Amino acid sequence: MLVFTLRRLSLFIFTMLLLTLVSFSVNFLFPGDSIINLTGAINATPNQLIGLNEAYQTNRNIFWQYIAYLGHIINGEFGLSMASQSDIATEVVKMLPATIELSLVALLIAMLIGIPLGFIAAIKHGKFTDSLILSVSMFGYSIPVFWLGLLAILTFSINLGWFPSAGQISLLFEIKLVTGIQFIDILLSDSPYKWQAFSDATAHIILPACVIALAPATIFIRLARTSMIEVLGTSYIRAASAKGLSFRQIIFRHAIRNALIQIIRHVGLQFANLVTIAMVTEVIFSWPGIGRWLIESIYQRDYTAIESGLLVLSCFIFIVHILTDFIYAALNPLARGNKYGA
Amino acid sequence: MNYLKFITTSLFSLVFLTACNQKDKLLLSEHSVIYCAEGSPETFNPQLVTSGTTIDATSNQLYDRLITYKGIENKLSPAIAESWHVTSDGTKVTFYLRKDVAFHHTDYFTPTRLLNADDVIFSFERALNLEHPYHFVSGGSYPFFQNVGLSDLVDKIEKINDHTIRFHLSHADNSFLANLATDFSIILSAEYAEQLSKQNAKSDIDTHPIGTGPFKLKEYRVGSFIRFYQHEQYWQDPAKIDQLVFDITPSNTGRLTKLLAKECDVVAYPIAHGKITQRKDLSLEAVTALNVGYFGFNVNKAPFDNKLVRQAISYAINKQTLLDAIYQGKAEMANSLLPKTSWAFDKTIKNQKFDPFFAKELLNFAGYAEGFTMDLWAMPIQRPYNPNAITMAKLIQSDLKKIGIQVNIVSYEWSTFLQRLKRGEHQSFLLGWSADHPDPDNFFSPILSCSATKTGSNTTFWCNEEYDTIIQKALRTSDIDKRKEYYAQAMSIIRQEVPLIPLAHSKRYQARGNNVIGDILAPFGGINFYSVSKRELISKKVATKKNKLDGKNNTLSTGVN
Amino acid sequence: MARDKIYLEEIFPSPFMQLWQVFRKTPVAMLGGSCFVFLIVLAIFGPILAPYSPIEGQLDMLLLPPAWNNDGNVSYLLGTDELGRDMLSRLMYGTSLTFGLSFIVVIISLIIGVVIGSLSALTTGLKSSFLNHFLDVVLSIPSLLLAIIIVAILGPGIANTVWAVVLVLIPQFIHITRYAVKEESRKDYVLASKLDGASPFRILYYSIFPNITDRIMGQATLAQSAAILDIATLGFLGLGAQIPLPEWGATLANGLDLFYIAPWTVYLPGLAILFAVVATNLVGEGIRHALKVRKDR
Repeated sequence: MLVFTLRRLSLFIFTMLLLTLVSFSVNFLFPGDSIINLTGAINATPNQLIGLNEAYQTNRNIFWQYIAYLGHIINGEFGLSMASQSDIATEVVKMLPATIELSLVALLIAMLIGIPLGFIAAIKHGKFTDSLILSVSMFGYSIPVFWLGLLAILTFSINLGWFPSAGQISLLFEIKLVTGIQFIDILLSDSPYKWQAFSDATAHIILPACVIALAPATIFIRLARTSMIEVLGTSYIRAASAKGLSFRQIIFRHAIRNALIQIIRHVGLQFANLVTIAMVTEVIFSWPGIGRWLIESIYQRDYTAIESGLLVLSCFIFIVHILTDFIYAALNPLARGNKYGA
Repeated sequence: MNYLKFITTSLFSLVFLTACNQKDKLLLSEHSVIYCAEGSPETFNPQLVTSGTTIDATSNQLYDRLITYKGIENKLSPAIAESWHVTSDGTKVTFYLRKDVAFHHTDYFTPTRLLNADDVIFSFERALNLEHPYHFVSGGSYPFFQNVGLSDLVDKIEKINDHTIRFHLSHADNSFLANLATDFSIILSAEYAEQLSKQNAKSDIDTHPIGTGPFKLKEYRVGSFIRFYQHEQYWQDPAKIDQLVFDITPSNTGRLTKLLAKECDVVAYPIAHGKITQRKDLSLEAVTALNVGYFGFNVNKAPFDNKLVRQAISYAINKQTLLDAIYQGKAEMANSLLPKTSWAFDKTIKNQKFDPFFAKELLNFAGYAEGFTMDLWAMPIQRPYNPNAITMAKLIQSDLKKIGIQVNIVSYEWSTFLQRLKRGEHQSFLLGWSADHPDPDNFFSPILSCSATKTGSNTTFWCNEEYDTIIQKALRTSDIDKRKEYYAQAMSIIRQEVPLIPLAHSKRYQARGNNVIGDILAPFGGINFYSVSKRELISKKVATKKNKLDGKNNTLSTGVN
Repeated sequence: MARDKIYLEEIFPSPFMQLWQVFRKTPVAMLGGSCFVFLIVLAIFGPILAPYSPIEGQLDMLLLPPAWNNDGNVSYLLGTDELGRDMLSRLMYGTSLTFGLSFIVVIISLIIGVVIGSLSALTTGLKSSFLNHFLDVVLSIPSLLLAIIIVAILGPGIANTVWAVVLVLIPQFIHITRYAVKEESRKDYVLASKLDGASPFRILYYSIFPNITDRIMGQATLAQSAAILDIATLGFLGLGAQIPLPEWGATLANGLDLFYIAPWTVYLPGLAILFAVVATNLVGEGIRHALKVRKDR
C-alpha cells in the first residue's frame, strides 16, 4: 500500500508541475504583453507595472519567471480578470463548488439510472429487453448535449412548465454564499423561506443534471452490463444456483456486489467526462459554474481568466481521478499491482 | 428490496419538496419583481457613462434629479427641487430644494442628515470642476456633461442657504434645464463622499452607490444579477414592491425563455413578438422613443479618412432591406439623425438613393477600384435602436461584397465593446443613440461634436469646426425657427461629409406578465420601476374553491393555489 | 449465396474478411454502414449537389418554414434562416465540414497515433514508464476539455479546431496501439517469427499489424463519433467554425436566436448531428460485435 501511495503521489506532483508549466507557457503564446496576460492589470499605472514586473521576475530568465509564477499560484494569487477587473481567485472559489454540485448530482443520477438498467440488460442477456436497452443507450450516447439541453428546456420548461429553465435558484431568495454549494448554503442560512428555497433549488438542478447525466448513464449501462455478464458467468454464481438459491437471492446477495466493484474503478474517469459535458450544459442553462465562466472568458479573450481557469479545471479533474484511483485501490488490494506490463 | 424502497422514498420526498410550500414562495414573489436585463451595468453612477444599459439599471432606481419630465407633453416638473427661477437674461438659475429628502440606509452607509444644498453642489462640482478631489475618481470622464459643454457653461454654483442654490451661467443656454432633467444629472451624497474619503475608498462612491431614489442597492453579482431593496424613507410614497431584481441575461432567446417559463416578470427588448401576443397571460408594450440607429466610420483610419469612400458606401447599402429584415417593419427609415417626432425634423431631406453602380464609380474615383477589406464592429446585444446588429452586419457585408469590399464582422461582450470603441480600435461600427431629453441638441452634440471625441461618445472621431459652430449657435438662441435653420444646416453637413449613415428610428419594446401593473418605460430611453406593483393572480381552481368556501363562511389564507 | 465450388480448396479468410462476413450478417450494422457511406458521398459531392449557396441568402425569402408547412416553399425544402439561406444547402455543405473534417481528422490522428504507438511498444524501461505516465495524464483529461484548451490558445477558427481535435485523438490511438501490439507480441506466432530471425519492424509490419487492424478500426469509429461531437460542440460554442461557415454546430448556434420564430433552424442541424453520430456508432458497434464473435470462435 505504501509503495502504491508513493507512486501515486509522485504521479500527482509530476502532473501538477506539468499542468502549471503548460499554463505558464500558454501565457507567452497569447497576444499582448505577457505580464499583463499574467496578472490582468490592464489599467495599471507605470509604477504599478514596475512593481508587477518585480513580483514576477520578468527581468531574469525563464526558469526564475516560472518559479515566481509558481510561488504566486501557491499563494492563491491568480491575478485579475481582464474583463471585470475582479480577483480571479475569489471568483473561482465561488464558482467551482457550483460546478461540483451540478456534476455530483448528475453523477448520482447517471449511476442510479445506468447501473440498474445495465444489470437488467445483463440478466435478460440476448433477449428483447437487452437489445432495447442497448439501442436506447446508443441513442443517448449519440445526442449532442447542447441540442438535448435546448429540447429539454422547450419541453419541460415552456410547454409543460414543470421546471425552470435557467440559474441555480430563483433570484427572489437571498442565500448567503458560504460554501458555494447551494443546498448546504440554504441549510446554513437563516432565511425565513428555507424550505421553499430548498425545493426551488431542487427544481432548478433537476433539468441540467438530467441532461448532463444522459451520456454517462449510457456508459454506466454498458459497464454494468459487461460486469454483470462476467459475474453471472463465474463459477461461484453457478455454485450458488446449484445450491438452490433463488434467482433473486443470487442477484441481490452475491452478483450485485461483485459487479459493482468493477464499475467503481471507472467512476473517476466518468466524472472527468461528466465535468466536461457539464461545461457545455452550464452555458445553456446559465448555471453559474466554472465551465460557463471559462467559455465566456474565451469569448471575451480574457487571457488571465483563461489561463487560471484552465489550470484550476485541469487540476480539479486530475485530483478527482487520482482520488478515485486511490479509493479503489484502498478497497481492492488486487488493483495495487503494476498496471503496465513489462 | 432495500434498493427499491430507497428509490421510492427518495422520489416521493423529491416530489413532496418541489410541490409543497409553493404558497410561501408566491407570497415572496407578490412583493418582488424580477426584470430580465440585457446586460451588466458598467458602474452604478450614471454620470460616468452614456450606455443605456447602465442608465436603465441605475438612474431612476437609485437616484433622483433636481427636476424631471412628467406627463405626455413632457413638461419639466419638480423633483428634488420644489421650484426654480430663471432670470430674464437667462444667466442665473435658482433652485429651491425640498426639505424632506432622505438618503439610502444600507450595510455600508448610514446617513445622519437629510439632503441639503451641499449634496447638490457636490454632485455637480465633482463632474464640472477639474480641481474637485472626486473629479478623477473612477476615471474622470463624464461624457454627457462634457458633450454638452456644461463646465464651460456653468461659471459657478452658489449656495444661498441650506436649501437654495444658484447656478451662474456664462451665457443663456436653452438646453440647460433640459440637461438637468436628464438621467445623468443625479444627486449624490456629500456625507457619504466624506466618509469614503476618510476610509480612503473613494471609488466606492460609484461601485457601492448611495442616492435618494425609490430603491437602494442590496447586492450585485457581476454579470449575474442586481438586487435592490425598497427605500422606506423615500420622499414620495415608498415603492409598492419590497424587492427588485435585475436578472442579467444577454441572450435574446434566454430572456424570452425566462418570460415564457415565468422566471422573469418583465423583459427588456423581447424578440418573437408573435409568441408573446399569442399567450393570454403576457403582454407587449412599446414606446415611441427618440432614437437613431446608425452605421458609423472611424474617420481616423484609412480608407475612411477619404470622404468619397464614405459616400460610396452610403450609396451601396440597401436601407429598405435592412428595415424589413432586422426591424421587421417596426421602425422608420432614418434620413438624418432626428426622428419625425422631433420639432427640428427637416422634411426636405430626401431618402438616400440606393445606387450600387454610382457607389462603384465613387470608389474608383477615390482610387479604390479593386476594393479593400474592412472590419465592421457590431453590438452583441439588443438595443432600442437596433434589435440585431450582428444580422444587420451580415446584410451589410453582402451588400458591400457586390461593390468589391470585403467585410469582417467583429463583436465583443457589450461593455468590452464600448470600451474598445472608445479607444478607437475599429474601422467602422454599428451603434445608435437614444435621446435623454426632447431637445434636438441631445442628438447633435453627444454623437458628432468635437468635444465628444474626447469623451468617447463620438466614436466616429469626426471633428468639423463648421458643424460645431453651428450647433453652438443653435444653443445660444431661443428663437425656435432660427434653431431649426441651424439644425437643418448641421444635418446637411452630415449628409455631405457622411461620418455616419443614419439607418432607422425604432420603437422600444418591453414584455411583461399580466400580473405586473404600472408604467415602466420612460419616453427618453430609460426605465423606471417606481410605480410598479403586482396584482394577485388567482388560478381557476382556487377561484372556484374560494367561492365554495366563501359560501360556507370560512376564511382562506392569503396564499394562492 | 451459392457459389460453384470448382476447386475443393479451403479458403481461409483474412481477419478482415472474417470481420466483414459477420458484419454483413448484422442488419443493424449494415444499416449504419450504408448511412455512413451515404454521408461520405454527401461530404464529397455535397458542395456540387447543393441547390443554393450556403453563404449567400435570398433576401426576399427570409425565415421560410420547411416545405411541409403551409407557408413553406418546395424549392426551399427545409426552409431558410434569417438571412434567407437555404437550410438544405447549408446542411449539405455542413456535411463536408462536420462529417468530412471529422473523417480526415480521424485518419490523420490514426496514422500518427499508430506509428508512435507501435514504435513506443518496442521500447521498454524508463522511457516506457515515462510515456505511460504521460499518456495516463493526457487520457484522463476529457477530449472536449483538451480541445477547448488548445482552441483557447490557438484562437477560434475551423483550422485550429481541426488541429485541436487531431491532437486530442492521437493519444487514444497511441494507447490502443501500444496495448494491442504488446498483447500480440506475447502470442506464439510472433515468437515464431522472432525465432525465425525477423527484425522488429518486419514482425510489426507483417505479423502484428494485420491482426490489430480491426481493433484499430473499432477505435477509429469511436474516435470519429467523438470527433463529430467535438467539432460540432466547438462550433456551437463559437470557438470553432466562424461566420459564415455552415458547420452543423455553428448553424445550430445561429438558429438559437430564432428559436421561437423559426425552430427548424435549431431542430434540423441537431438531427443532422444525431444522424451522423448514430451512423458512426452503428458501424462501430457492428465492428466490435464482429470482433467479439470472431474471438469467441
